[in-house]
Amino acid sequence: MRRDDIPYSMPTTNRPRNAGSAISDDASRLDAVAKVTGQAIYSRDRYLPNSLFAGFIFCPYGKAKLESHASEAAKKIPGVVEVEISGREGQYHGHTVGHVLAESPEALRRGLAAVACKWVREPVRTKIRDGELAEPSPNAKTSDILAKADHVLEAEYETQVQTHCCLEPHGATIDHKGESATCYISTQGTFAATDGLSDAIGLPRSKYEVICEYIGGGFGSKLNGAGKEGVLAARLSAGHNRPVYLFRTREEDQTDTGNRPSGLARVKIGFTKDGTILGGLVQKFGGVGVGRGGGGMSFPSGRYNLGDIQSDHDDVRFNGGAPRPFRAPGHPQGAFCEELMLDEIATKAGVDPLALRLNLENSGARKEMLELGAEIVGWKNRAKTGSQAGVIRRGFGIGSAAWGSGQGRTDCEVVINRDGSIEARTGTQDIGTGQRTTMAIMTAEAIGVPLAFVGVRIGSSNLPVGPGSGGSVTTPSTAPVMAAAAARAREQLLTTIANLNSADASEFDVKGGEILRAGKPFMTWAQACAKIGGEQIVGRAKQGEGERGKGHSDGVQFVDLRVDTDTGVVYVDRVIAVQSCGRVICRKTAESQIIGGVIQGLSYALFENQVLDRNAGSMLNANMESYKILGPNDMPHIEPVLWTKGATGVRSLGEPPVVPTAGAVACAVFNAIGTPVRSIPLTPDKVLAALAGGGA
Amino acid sequence: MVSSNDPGWNNGKDAGKDGVSRRSFMVTLGASAAAASLSQAAQAALPKGQDAQPESDVRGPGETSLTLNVNGQSRTIKAEPATTLLDALRQKMGLTGPKEICDRGACGGCSVIINGNLVASCMMLAADAEGAAITTIEGLSKDGALDPVQESFIRHDALQCGYCTPGFVMAGRALLDKKPKPTLAEIKKALSGNICRCGTYTNVFNAILEASGQPPVMDSAPGA
Ligand code: FES
Ligand code: FES
Repeated sequence: MRRDDIPYSMPTTNRPRNAGSAISDDASRLDAVAKVTGQAIYSRDRYLPNSLFAGFIFCPYGKAKLESHASEAAKKIPGVVEVEISGREGQYHGHTVGHVLAESPEALRRGLAAVACKWVREPVRTKIRDGELAEPSPNAKTSDILAKADHVLEAEYETQVQTHCCLEPHGATIDHKGESATCYISTQGTFAATDGLSDAIGLPRSKYEVICEYIGGGFGSKLNGAGKEGVLAARLSAGHNRPVYLFRTREEDQTDTGNRPSGLARVKIGFTKDGTILGGLVQKFGGVGVGRGGGGMSFPSGRYNLGDIQSDHDDVRFNGGAPRPFRAPGHPQGAFCEELMLDEIATKAGVDPLALRLNLENSGARKEMLELGAEIVGWKNRAKTGSQAGVIRRGFGIGSAAWGSGQGRTDCEVVINRDGSIEARTGTQDIGTGQRTTMAIMTAEAIGVPLAFVGVRIGSSNLPVGPGSGGSVTTPSTAPVMAAAAARAREQLLTTIANLNSADASEFDVKGGEILRAGKPFMTWAQACAKIGGEQIVGRAKQGEGERGKGHSDGVQFVDLRVDTDTGVVYVDRVIAVQSCGRVICRKTAESQIIGGVIQGLSYALFENQVLDRNAGSMLNANMESYKILGPNDMPHIEPVLWTKGATGVRSLGEPPVVPTAGAVACAVFNAIGTPVRSIPLTPDKVLAALAGGGA
Repeated sequence: MVSSNDPGWNNGKDAGKDGVSRRSFMVTLGASAAAASLSQAAQAALPKGQDAQPESDVRGPGETSLTLNVNGQSRTIKAEPATTLLDALRQKMGLTGPKEICDRGACGGCSVIINGNLVASCMMLAADAEGAAITTIEGLSKDGALDPVQESFIRHDALQCGYCTPGFVMAGRALLDKKPKPTLAEIKKALSGNICRCGTYTNVFNAILEASGQPPVMDSAPGA
């Protein structure tokens, strides 16, 4: 294959169900060449000449007072430029209390070590159950429902703290040049990152540019403006008139850059003998660390008819880092509780969990998806819960998701140059979803040229405003607007050609990169573009234009796994993920989005857990070898199925695929061993305890 | 620390994953001793008959010059004795393809190939890599032509944010150099020192299968 043909048309045939589902089945991501060759430059790769290096001083305990430090001695270390202590108290591991600035990374490390903080520890709370939790208080209606029910399920479901663990840590390189500045920030919001930066950098907004061409993961944790890192780096760069490089260490990233908060849900649900759910009480607690808010759980989700639910929620504070949005905030934890609860009710009522869901489902689309998923996974092979006796037991489980489609502020422009090149522009960033690629496909389709004609520029606050990558809005925002901008550019070009030929623009068309007149080849793309007066044509469009995706993105997932009842280890064999996202633009990146969501969901279900020492409050696994993330050797076969029935418009896809997985895994483990494990991650100790404890 | 759920944790790496925190090691022993304390694993990456620096060859404590053979070019840099190969590549040579992610041998993002073996460059001192043939992701495509592993990664969309990708591509290349037609299980094992947070493994496996001339894993077909 010629390098020039990469990556515009690279067919694959291993996912026959998805063939023909997208506007482009065969395109690979446009920036893939840069990424596989190491040429993609991330913010963390910006080592600028004459840079200073900054790092935070932080509290290593859950709660402690800074008794003394040796910052004067640290300042004397060769290469240390500045040491500042700004706080005297730490409320959680990772709480920053100052910084060191140095000439080199080595000097920075020596400086940070020399600060030698002496901390006096204080008693800590490290989890939801350390707080004073309100007693459940069913109101009159709820009490009535529970009194009338044939059965009442009483259970407590618990979820852990999950850290984002972006592979590119949080940070920024700020290059203050006196009159202007360039800010390379690892951010999910190139424009949001300008918030609060003007003060720190001491320049008006028009004098600095935020650049984020590539970002090594965000998942919601890089949506908070310029972040602590960007703001400090900006201040230091302004103060010293030199570039400042400031990136978090893995320990800091694991403790001080947000998380998916823990959750506890106490349920009392009444249901009839045949499994009809009447309603009841769902009392929830969100473990928000030192945060204020953000601990909500999407439970009940609204996807199932659960009767009259009284839903109470409290956030509980303790000595841990504050949460930040994490891919579908509140949803995977809610879905875990809800799906396992449904399977417990189904089992008690003697109803098949699939039949129960088909009965309770509020969405016709998801019912059809359930039927398809059940067929693919082979639901008929599922043994009744609790009926297996061997050492290795097989289990099947189901989870589901629904996600609305929002839009963020989006201006797009499509430029057609005299030389025939096309550039699609908006300032948004690509966190790995494939923004460059989807926008190029929309542009090429709208104009009628091969994908190879289109280049894309993103990742700069000097470009037209683009949305932040949050709430799964990026593609639903950019795709229709870019298509509208491209259509406008095309119209202008055709008008130019028509005028030169004293004809009407409606006689002309563009197909396959050729200009047609009355359906017949008229001139080449290059010939047409050469006729552009001035240098270029620019088509512009803004939010609200183009075909907007309406309604929900839906998803259901089926898990097929085995449990080794001797060791308690859960081996997931297959996950079938049926997912809709409206009109699919790029098949491959859509499949990747689904697979990635499932993998994060599995990792959440089985492994990940921020462990705080109950005495010191320190995170015991603030690294990547003991904070276990699912790796290649833990991988099941994952099958992404794109559901395009009735699809119009472009809808959300980023978050929904991460929602169903943990619930489906928990249901499958219950199906295999006959006892529900009501706490994730589903580690061997919990599985063995459930097996030893017998029935729920 | 080995995760109980990941029996193949270290098998993917041939060198540099001795489990010792390299910096704390250095602090304890002092730089000159550390320079001589090449781990057994890293020894294995060196050409036969080439020993670690003898103990008398004291480097530092400040910067000294050292010469590295990277992507077929010999380059001399100034670095402190405790400078890792990863820091030397990224900060001194401008080769930012290898990523620093965990900085302690747990993620594979910094992987390079040294004398044919996959090495976590964050776990090796730059000084210990003198005289060895180092290939980084930047040196994989020759004369503008992509390596088949790279091309196959693109075809199967074996990347999302791309931050882990250089490490996975190097791991795939190192595997195929040793085992031209690995099974899926062998691929999983060989990659088990690498972490991808976006979740691209499925497509990575398919990419490596296809780069080795084998068909990717087929998903179910309608009506099957
Ligand atoms: S950075 Fe070297 S293995 Fe993670
Ligand atoms: S592609 Fe983002 S970490 Fe692997």
